[in-house]
Amino acid sequence: MIKSLAFLCLPLLAVAQKQTTVAIRNAKIVTISGPVLYKGTVILKDGLIEAVGENVRIPAGAWIIEGDGLTVYPGLIDGLSTVGIIPPPVITPTTTAPATPPARGPEDRPRTTSWERAADKVRANDPRIDSARNAGFTSVVTFPTAGIFAGQGAVVNMAGDNPSKMIVESPAGQYMTLAGAGGQGAARGFPSSGMGVYAYVRQIFIDLDYYEKTKAAYQANPAGKQRPAYDRALEGLKESGRLLLPAGSKVEMERVIRLASELNMPFVLYGAQEGYRTSEQLKQGKVSVLVSAKWPAKIPNGDPDAEESLRTLEVRENAPSTPAALAKDGVKFAFYSDGQTPVEFIKGVRLAVERGLSHDDAVKALSLSTAEIFGIANRLGSVEKGKIANLVISKGDLLAEKSTIQYVFIDGIHFVPSPDAAPATVAPPGATGRRPRTGDQK
Amino acid sequence: MKIAKFLLFTVPLVAQDSFILRNVTIHPVTSADIVGGSIVVANGKIVELGAKVTASKSIKVIDGRGLHVYPGMINCATQMGLSEVTSVRESNDTNEIGEFLPQVRAVVAVNPDSEHIPVTRVNGITSSLVLPASLSETGRGAGTGPQSILRGQSAMIHLDGWNWEDMAISRNAGVLMRFPAIVTRRAAFGEGAIGTPIPYNEAKKTYETELKKVEEFFDSAKHYQAAKMAKAAGFKLNVQLDAMIPVLEGKVPLLIAAQKERTIRDAIAFAKKQNVKIILLDVTKPGKALDVIKQNNIPVVVGKPTSLPEDEDDPYDASYSLPGQLYKAGIKFAFGTYDNQFARNLPYEAAFAVAYGLPYEEALKALTIGAAEIFGVSNEIGSIEKGKSADFVVTDGDPLEVRTQVKMLFIRGKNVSLETKQTRLYEKYMNRK
Repeated sequence: MIKSLAFLCLPLLAVAQKQTTVAIRNAKIVTISGPVLYKGTVILKDGLIEAVGENVRIPAGAWIIEGDGLTVYPGLIDGLSTVGIIPPPVITPTTTAPATPPARGPEDRPRTTSWERAADKVRANDPRIDSARNAGFTSVVTFPTAGIFAGQGAVVNMAGDNPSKMIVESPAGQYMTLAGAGGQGAARGFPSSGMGVYAYVRQIFIDLDYYEKTKAAYQANPAGKQRPAYDRALEGLKESGRLLLPAGSKVEMERVIRLASELNMPFVLYGAQEGYRTSEQLKQGKVSVLVSAKWPAKIPNGDPDAEESLRTLEVRENAPSTPAALAKDGVKFAFYSDGQTPVEFIKGVRLAVERGLSHDDAVKALSLSTAEIFGIANRLGSVEKGKIANLVISKGDLLAEKSTIQYVFIDGIHFVPSPDAAPATVAPPGATGRRPRTGDQK
Repeated sequence: MKIAKFLLFTVPLVAQDSFILRNVTIHPVTSADIVGGSIVVANGKIVELGAKVTASKSIKVIDGRGLHVYPGMINCATQMGLSEVTSVRESNDTNEIGEFLPQVRAVVAVNPDSEHIPVTRVNGITSSLVLPASLSETGRGAGTGPQSILRGQSAMIHLDGWNWEDMAISRNAGVLMRFPAIVTRRAAFGEGAIGTPIPYNEAKKTYETELKKVEEFFDSAKHYQAAKMAKAAGFKLNVQLDAMIPVLEGKVPLLIAAQKERTIRDAIAFAKKQNVKIILLDVTKPGKALDVIKQNNIPVVVGKPTSLPEDEDDPYDASYSLPGQLYKAGIKFAFGTYDNQFARNLPYEAAFAVAYGLPYEEALKALTIGAAEIFGVSNEIGSIEKGKSADFVVTDGDPLEVRTQVKMLFIRGKNVSLETKQTRLYEKYMNRK
């Protein structure tokens, strides 16, 4: 506390600067990509990591953070989220809107918004951004989530007041769901069953293949040819480049892997709570998975006399050991919050650590592995020279219950965790981001 | 058997519809079997039976050499005569709407010409309990809005007759009640559909509100009863409350569908509090409530032995072995099929229970005299005894065995035709040129 107060005067010189050069010295650095440095220095400059090492020269004028007793980690990434996309308010219609007729078949492109981009929907004023940052999440991979082909995700940094500057990568893949809509009577449209959804997914990829071919043929020589119709669903799908497919149970994983192998597009499974039973198969198929850290739990306020099946209890007991099993078999996996608050999310990850996953592997599954799965490991996910300066600095092991987050850097900008996450510190004014919770507010 | 050999009877009177059935093996159920015996029937009643019976020369003789005689079986849960084709609205006369309808009488709605009746009785079932509402509307899948609680009076009927007056054995064999239950799952439709859960405290609140309503109704019925007894000034007849008097007096039981332990316990506690008699229907998973049932001497109509187990981890034979468990616990029980279409399978339901631990003799008793005792009609039906209604079935073997053929069927002494819709269709298509 006293130390940080002492820094108050130093960067005053650099008020005009948006980003200062920061040096964290003599800290334990968990680089994730390489060995742990026990007395290392990290230099952040212009929003990037300029240098990492044990014998790094500190540039003149840098804000120096004494790292004794602190551990530096790469900023955490939530592998699948909706943070940044503010759900539209529910409006009660005053007049009944004309009902859209239910879809009759794949030609109606039911429940498909594959062209929608999270990057276009992200808003900087989502309050969830603050709480993510306070828990050490410097990026999230955020997705539109409604529909069979819900839309394209984006990797978003949790800082800034301009959404355009927050986007790290877009598109980051196509979010898919595979559940039949069900429905009765007039509301019933194609596809209402699971088999209908599978048929539709197969169909749309056959359509995509044909679409590409006719387009190519037309572009090569348009004369004397009818022009192919523009199809935004297929354009959106093609753009996304990666599919996120849901699979929680063993049978779902087997089924979805089989489907995905026909689709000629890279894919990632999400859910994967029964991964403890399937890690062998996932390894053989070289499948990457996003593991939901929302472990199955007894429903609150449930019937005390209802008998829970052995199957339910078994999954509830074993699901948190999935990450350990995947790590052991060398399956690439990352965690995602699955709608939980960041604090609940970290608690979920902690349970996986209790069930045999090493602490640093858990951090990896919240950083480098996530970055690798989304193809952005050249920019994010580890404390490495040249990468984006997203760091989280804690006192104690980052995921440990008693640890406190001391500093969060996103794009090299310092954010002060909220008072409940850590004791308040005073940030150097020039180095602060938007709406930091600073000591002068206290 | 020994005693039967030395019996010698003479029939003094020859009634118009009287006959003697000779050379049969009689299984009276309430006493030892009689090999090579005879049964004399007059005026619809059994007047004599034994190894040696001499009858008047003018009496009609039916020779049953090599055949077996069993009392007609009783199906304790049907809607016989009330529902023909469940999906054809016009052919259904069940499930009245309203919360408390103890005055609704199933017996008057029985259609004597229902096609289900001949189909059912050719398997040896001569009586059935007719419920005024289906149990699917009564017990299972509740939680779809305000529902009836007292569903009406059930009736025990013979499966033959010109009209319901002919058929009725007991016009009010019990008032069917949907007992309020803590329902923690909404009803779902379709194969394998699972309803969304309802929070327990919410479900419990609904249950408590409903139970309070039931208690209030019973209280008002008691006040009415007292006013009637006292011949109070200004007393006015109220059919709804009047129908509660036999229940409050303990003359007519409440029939409560209770599948699982919690509902069973709640229903029994309610019966004790209100001091009324109850019979539990469709008991499928009593668990530890078995003891409570026994302690309170509550009769039970078991759930279909061939139905699937209630919960995922229940043993595969949970339903098959339940009747055996009830027997071992000393609980009085009977069988029912809870439908009309498959009411004929009653003996095979019991046969499953026999394969899974219920002694054969007990199964036969539960199908006949046991059922008659539970519903208070054992002076009329349920066994082959002097003075009882001549409701019996003549077979070439064990009636619980699928291969056994029913050769003759007697209901109230009448030799009932074995023709059914199925045999008529069989004839029709066999004769097609």
